[in-house]
Amino acid sequence: MGTLVEQPGYPKLQLAHVSKQFNVPRSGEQVRAVTDFTLDVYPGEFLSIVGPSGCGKSTVLNMLAGLDEPTSGQITMDGQQVDGPSAERGMVFQNYALFPWRTAWENIEFGPRYGPRARKLSTQERRAQVQRYLDLVGLTGSEHKYPHELSGGMQQRCALARLLANEPEVLLMDEPLGAVDAQTRVILQEELLRIWGQESAVHDRRTVVFITHDIDEAIFLSDRVAVMSSRPGRLKQVLDIALPRPRVDAVRAMDEFYRLSREIWQLIREDAYRASISQGTEPMVAPVHS
Amino acid sequence: MRARFGLKGFLLPCVLLIVWQLWGIAQPAQSAAPVPTHVFESARQLIASGDLPLAIFQSIQRVLLGFLIAAIVAISIGLLMGHFRFADRNLDPIVESFRPVAPIALLPLAILWFGTGTPAAVFIVAYAAFFPLIINTIFGVKQVDGLVIQAARTMGVGRFRILQTVIIPSALPSIFVGARLAMGIAWTSIVAAEMAVGAKSGGGGTGGIGQMMFIFYAYSVKLDGIVVCMIAVGIVALLIDLCFRILQRKVMPWAH
Amino acid sequence: MRARMAKQAPILGATDAHLTERILRRISPIVVYLRSMAVVLIVWQLIHLRVGNPILLPSPLAVAESLYQLTRDGEILEHSFISLRRLAIGFGLAGLLGIPLGLFMGFSRLAQELIDPMIEVLRPISGIAWIPIALFIFGIGDELPIFIIFYGAFFPVVLNTIAGVRTVDPLLVRAAQTMGVTHRVIVSQVIFPAALPNILVGTRLGAGAAWMSLVAAELIGAPSGLGFSVQWYRQLLMTSKVLAFIVVIGILGYLTDRSLRLLQQRLTPWAVDTGGAR
Repeated sequence: MGTLVEQPGYPKLQLAHVSKQFNVPRSGEQVRAVTDFTLDVYPGEFLSIVGPSGCGKSTVLNMLAGLDEPTSGQITMDGQQVDGPSAERGMVFQNYALFPWRTAWENIEFGPRYGPRARKLSTQERRAQVQRYLDLVGLTGSEHKYPHELSGGMQQRCALARLLANEPEVLLMDEPLGAVDAQTRVILQEELLRIWGQESAVHDRRTVVFITHDIDEAIFLSDRVAVMSSRPGRLKQVLDIALPRPRVDAVRAMDEFYRLSREIWQLIREDAYRASISQGTEPMVAPVHS
Repeated sequence: MRARFGLKGFLLPCVLLIVWQLWGIAQPAQSAAPVPTHVFESARQLIASGDLPLAIFQSIQRVLLGFLIAAIVAISIGLLMGHFRFADRNLDPIVESFRPVAPIALLPLAILWFGTGTPAAVFIVAYAAFFPLIINTIFGVKQVDGLVIQAARTMGVGRFRILQTVIIPSALPSIFVGARLAMGIAWTSIVAAEMAVGAKSGGGGTGGIGQMMFIFYAYSVKLDGIVVCMIAVGIVALLIDLCFRILQRKVMPWAH
Repeated sequence: MRARMAKQAPILGATDAHLTERILRRISPIVVYLRSMAVVLIVWQLIHLRVGNPILLPSPLAVAESLYQLTRDGEILEHSFISLRRLAIGFGLAGLLGIPLGLFMGFSRLAQELIDPMIEVLRPISGIAWIPIALFIFGIGDELPIFIIFYGAFFPVVLNTIAGVRTVDPLLVRAAQTMGVTHRVIVSQVIFPAALPNILVGTRLGAGAAWMSLVAAELIGAPSGLGFSVQWYRQLLMTSKVLAFIVVIGILGYLTDRSLRLLQQRLTPWAVDTGGAR
């Protein structure tokens, strides 16, 4: 548990000179969402990507998940090329994407029940696994409720549990706390770190790639923060977050926290201003591989 | 849902048309079975003689009349019910009680009251068009964003003015949808009403395309004629819907 | 119930107030309904007295009496049964054929491009316009109403099913994909449940269309059933019976819609009710 991230050997995920271009359906013009994006993600680290609206953060994440193909460049995991979605790269979305017709329990159970590892689990084992993650995220007692009966914070916990129950090696999170009010957000950030296991050793932790608008959130949660420019999104800079783990509320008051916050904001400021007065926001996300 | 009339789109209809024609050829020579080529011929005749256009014209006249009556009544009551809780609570049970009664079921009653003429048909059309119109009007008024109304009030707009300039335009898209639906149902109902009148009055009714269809069936056994009428019914339905869509875009370019 | 409530809330005052409030809330819509219908009946009676011709407009009491008589004679039951049977068969067929077709067309772009134009051509030709041709093919009897009902219900079912499949939230599909499930699982465990609300709306619309088709078909081309009865008694100038049957048609239509609505709520409790004119 050092202050700096250990970077043991081989990266877990690699993006090499990745670019993504979209055709806007109505006007037929090409939009370059991401350009020449190169980034290594190390095993067990918590990496955030921040940037102004519409800079292509979600696009990068979708490509990491295998839901989208890069127009050029390569994306690999453990040295193997990523060519489609897989249970090893689980994803959480801003709008939770919980299955409304399933209870919380049934949502969490989805991966273990139908995923690639389903055959290896007996019903007993599956039930124990679901229960474990249900308890981990703090939803014990609410397992029989439907998503529309849960609060925003609880829905997000459920989405998290659903992701974790599948035990992926990599967690991809697309602004998961974006739909929650500011107070709940702060609480969930701490919960997220707890659930992720910030107290365990690096090699016991899962790799996380986290997208957010909120600079302070990124600093609080991550080991490193990658800053993107506005569209077409380039990687501007990657900063090490040399704050002590476990991150607790007091960390937010530290001088280093403030310094990092200012530094990152300076990197984004101009792009963010331009983005807020330009037309449109995030480019339309490309259709899913079906 | 727009159909995409690419080239593939014509495949199935053409194949079916060909099969139909072949089936017709295989029939014995005397049979009155309708066949594409005969249908086409009949169509030409009926249009040239003016019978078909006349029948369509008569039917459309009745539809428009019935629709107009329904619109005036339904939209006024609908606006009231949408705006005033009191009216809604008390009138809604009545509307909801009459709605399940299929309009055509009232035809015998209408014939009893108005005779086998245009008034009966118009009555059925009006009744049929009434419900989509009123329900959509009420819905349209109710779903006017309360915040928009408040914004107008804070700009000092008077109560009646608000009705005019805020509520009605906001409700217009919904009312329009209701009108489109109502028109479609009205057209279906007029055909049914005319057919039923024709069936029960021994061909003594007063025209219209539904009537014509029934006469072809019962009296002159011109099945090709029936098919021509069916196609005509379909085409008119499409045209009516098209007109409404165009109108919608003209009157409310902001809504989609 | 009183005893149970008393056990739950030891304070007597709270129990009483709570109970009365609950009863009032339950009863209130019923009261309003009865009140409005009472007004309708009174207006009806007044018009009847004004018109003075029992053939033209019988009094509500006469209609009630006819209803009672016809029910006792078993006529209402007999014709209702016949009509409902036709409705069930026609509507059932429409569902059995329409939903799978809709699913197929929803999934396969190609299927949609091939079949959709045919649907768009046939749909405007309402089921009712088919009656003369159907009369020629089937003659007067049971098959005619069933065919017309099937035709009428078929299109709303298919179109809404297609829409249901098409408008599945892509996010849900993505969520399932990132859990590594097979395509088959996605179709059966994600797309189908997500499309279910729309499919059920389609069946409700189909049922409405089915009723209209049923009545029209029976009026014109059937020797039995509710639609036929309305026509039959009109010719006999027994207007109170005509109205009685109309009332029955209304009630059954309402019950059909209600039960489908309940089914909708049971199967898809998470979906917002899109009830109304459509």
